[in-house]
Amino acid sequence: MSEDKRLPMCPENLHEGTRLGPIHYVVSPEQARAFANAVGAANRDFIRDPKTGEAIVPPTMRLQDYALLIATHLKGGKGGVHAKHWCEFHEPMHIGQAVKTEGTITAAFRKRGKFYFTLEYESRDAVTDRLLVRQAITSVLLNDKGEMR
Amino acid sequence: MSAAPVEIRLGAEIVSQPYVLDAAAAKAYGEGIESPVRRASRRSIHDDKDAARNAGFVAPIAAGEHTIAVIAQFLADTFGMRFVRGGRLSVALTKPVLFGDILISRARIERIDLDGERAELKIWVENQRGEEVLVGSAAIRMGQA
Repeated sequence: MSEDKRLPMCPENLHEGTRLGPIHYVVSPEQARAFANAVGAANRDFIRDPKTGEAIVPPTMRLQDYALLIATHLKGGKGGVHAKHWCEFHEPMHIGQAVKTEGTITAAFRKRGKFYFTLEYESRDAVTDRLLVRQAITSVLLNDKGEMR
Repeated sequence: MSAAPVEIRLGAEIVSQPYVLDAAAAKAYGEGIESPVRRASRRSIHDDKDAARNAGFVAPIAAGEHTIAVIAQFLADTFGMRFVRGGRLSVALTKPVLFGDILISRARIERIDLDGERAELKIWVENQRGEEVLVGSAAIRMGQA
């Protein structure tokens, strides 16, 4: 097994301006079906984009990309508690689309004894570079004892 | 995203069907997302009583993004392409969701731009006790895709 050179996930290693990723993936129909079922989508089958005719996926299916981005640079830690989130949906993702996602830590601060960080990230079509989704998560990082401080 | 016809007028309120966020729903959600591969297993606030207690919760809690996904899907089902192409969402998770909680998503149209291009919504999710577990805002386009 190769040596893991990623830094430990802790406040000392979370700095404003740190860039994470990119990660690349192809949007899979299996994941889209599973996600649509899990969130109780009214229509469990794929919806056709009236503009392009392509099958599109639920809007927050790749919201979890923030965790994949963090894992490109940092390891371990006790996890975090999701505090805030925003998303701008520019274009829907479609089945079979190649996507590139990358992000930047835009804030890292202590407030009332808790350590917060904000990671802004955006997903683009990997071929055309067209912006699909821009979003940001603000999370409270749990300390090495698993506490919220 | 089957966008049932919704009248977009100031003050209109839209309410979802109940969504039971139990362990089975969390498992299904986990199968619909891609998570990082971990070299060592980690007990988390989502599946371990002690980890949840250490973090200040009475029991394991649902992932915040699961609740966000539920209301985002409600908006997508209600407004279709008006939301998924050119829409936005901004939320705060205000209270933990415990497994077994029943969630109702709500949206109220608060403002329609003077140019008639966009509508702004207040959105929130309540549990079965009427407590708000998520609050925020959203925007949709008024025109079709």
